[in-house]
Amino acid sequence: MIAGLSAILEQILVYATIYTLVALGIVIGGRAGVFNVGGEGIMLAAASAGFLAAFFSGSWVVGFVVGASMGAALGLLLALLHEGLGVNQFIGGIFLVIFGTGLSDLLYKVVVGVVLEAPQAPPMPEVVIPPLSSVPFLRSFLNQDPIVYFMYGAVAATWWFFYRTRLGLETRAIGELPQAADVVGVNVRRRRIIAATVGAALMGVAGAYLPIFVTGTYNPNISAGRGFMAIGIAIFAAWKPQRTIVGGLLFAAVEVVSYQLQLARPDVPFQFFLMLPFVSVLVIMVVMRRFIEFPASIGRPYRRE
Amino acid sequence: MTDSTVDVRTPARAKSGGGRAALVYLAAIAAAFAVTLLLIAALGFSPTRALRTLVTTSFRTSFGFQETIKKAIPLLFATYAFTIPFMIKFFNIGAWGQMLFGATITAVVGLVLGPLGVPRLVLVPLLLAVGAVAGGCWALIAGWLKAEFDINPIISTIMSNYVALYVLNLVATSARFRDIAEGHPMTVRLTENATIETLGGIPLSIVPALLAAVFVWFLIRHTRLGYEITAVGFNQRTAETYGINFARTILLTFFIGGALAGMGGAVEVIATQRRLIEGFATTSGAQYGMFGIVTALIVNANPVVVPLASFFMAVLLVGADALQRTMQVPVEVVFLAQALVVLFVVVARERFGGRTT
Repeated sequence: MIAGLSAILEQILVYATIYTLVALGIVIGGRAGVFNVGGEGIMLAAASAGFLAAFFSGSWVVGFVVGASMGAALGLLLALLHEGLGVNQFIGGIFLVIFGTGLSDLLYKVVVGVVLEAPQAPPMPEVVIPPLSSVPFLRSFLNQDPIVYFMYGAVAATWWFFYRTRLGLETRAIGELPQAADVVGVNVRRRRIIAATVGAALMGVAGAYLPIFVTGTYNPNISAGRGFMAIGIAIFAAWKPQRTIVGGLLFAAVEVVSYQLQLARPDVPFQFFLMLPFVSVLVIMVVMRRFIEFPASIGRPYRRE
Repeated sequence: MTDSTVDVRTPARAKSGGGRAALVYLAAIAAAFAVTLLLIAALGFSPTRALRTLVTTSFRTSFGFQETIKKAIPLLFATYAFTIPFMIKFFNIGAWGQMLFGATITAVVGLVLGPLGVPRLVLVPLLLAVGAVAGGCWALIAGWLKAEFDINPIISTIMSNYVALYVLNLVATSARFRDIAEGHPMTVRLTENATIETLGGIPLSIVPALLAAVFVWFLIRHTRLGYEITAVGFNQRTAETYGINFARTILLTFFIGGALAGMGGAVEVIATQRRLIEGFATTSGAQYGMFGIVTALIVNANPVVVPLASFFMAVLLVGADALQRTMQVPVEVVFLAQALVVLFVVVARERFGGRTT
């Protein structure tokens, strides 16, 4: 059955929340100079830890707090490896992917084991804003679970921080020309470590969102490559926080539409539709490449000369 | 590590920083093992028994040894796939997809040509070449996107992995090739003339694997292209000043890396599975591409030691399976152990071993 338009919009928004939060996390670290490509591993570890916490506490809030903490811990680890020990950021990110993949299934196996009935996450409430939530179309964007609102807030707050505060200006300066920031007394390393940790915490929230809200149960490899695709969104967004939501909606739309097309066109092999999101990432990056500028010092640990 | 300094050492000399480097290396691996054994003990298993299982399973029985060789062969190809582009500092995360794509095209050609009665001595080398070209072309997409549009190969190779996964699924579930008697997506069996025999339990696909190792060693150490790759890896700008075409080097390293992965996929199809099966490139709970990256990072992408490293990694994988089978230790523990080995080795190299990539 082909879902109605409002149902499709709501589905898009759910996936957009995941993509946007991870991409936003990448942007926050990246603007300070730490390029975290380990989002997939962070999401998986946070999904497992967050789900277990939510299940045993019976509270989705606890689940998200634990998920965010798991993300923050792994982001901190990456930042320390990079800024403290000089490990290449991409190698650090690949380490996080492998580590997170192993950790997520191990945690679940050790705590839950093999059971007949998979444990279910506690239900999440729907937040309704009375007058607006009844307007058609707008309803799809507002009649949602708390994490969607959290995503809106996180994007707005990050934009405000980077472009309207002194601290944000300094953080952007660290990503562009750390020597200059250092000269005016900004602690480059500490700021980078904080930015990478906060960014990874957002990835953790996105990871926990998958089992707690989207599926209701934990499955191995639950993030299904979305942590990698979010790297494409961060680059698509040209490292601007406000644009991650545009990229998130776009990629989510491609994903949801590809599901719908599978149902609508059974004559076309469904594999072509499943390829669509991954091919789109590359096409979009080729098209957008002229408008993209990376933070100048991204990828290099800061050393005083 | 600044761009303006020229490093004139060859990789071989840069590596032989004396016994100290080797010692640091071994210490890092020992530390990673110690952490893993602590974890195993914390989970309530016997760490001594676990260590014994992990290290000796491959050597206790001939079956264990055969299994190790069977895992080492695709691992060797996957490790090279990461290693060669990494020599010019690009990350090919796509060995998995290149294997899948190479395997898929090999299976299609094998299933079409096999029944025509093409002699084995012609068909098997042809299929290996088909797998290599297919894998190479698949990787060339990422190389081209980098050379032409400056798109980070980490992203393009990961994306092409997922696309390859669906190409394989498409063929394995197609009306033309699917084995309808099986529930899991797979093609019908290849005819005898499209397969490689085993000798004493060891698949003869070890021959192409060893030939690949010799090829890579010769390429890197004794050809102009190998010299160019090494030169670009040390200093891209200097290499370009001396007339080496950087874009061409990118394309060639990705093609060669992908071709080796593709041949690995072909070998799995014609020697191990003898048909195309969805999920074939997976072992011990993860795919060969990922283990290849781990292996390559541990040896700092030194192409000469890749065969040895692949063998030892295969020993660990066979040990991990045994650990799960006999002691019910989750196989993910070994996965974490490998991540830790990478971490400790990379950190040790950064802190004590001088330069890294």
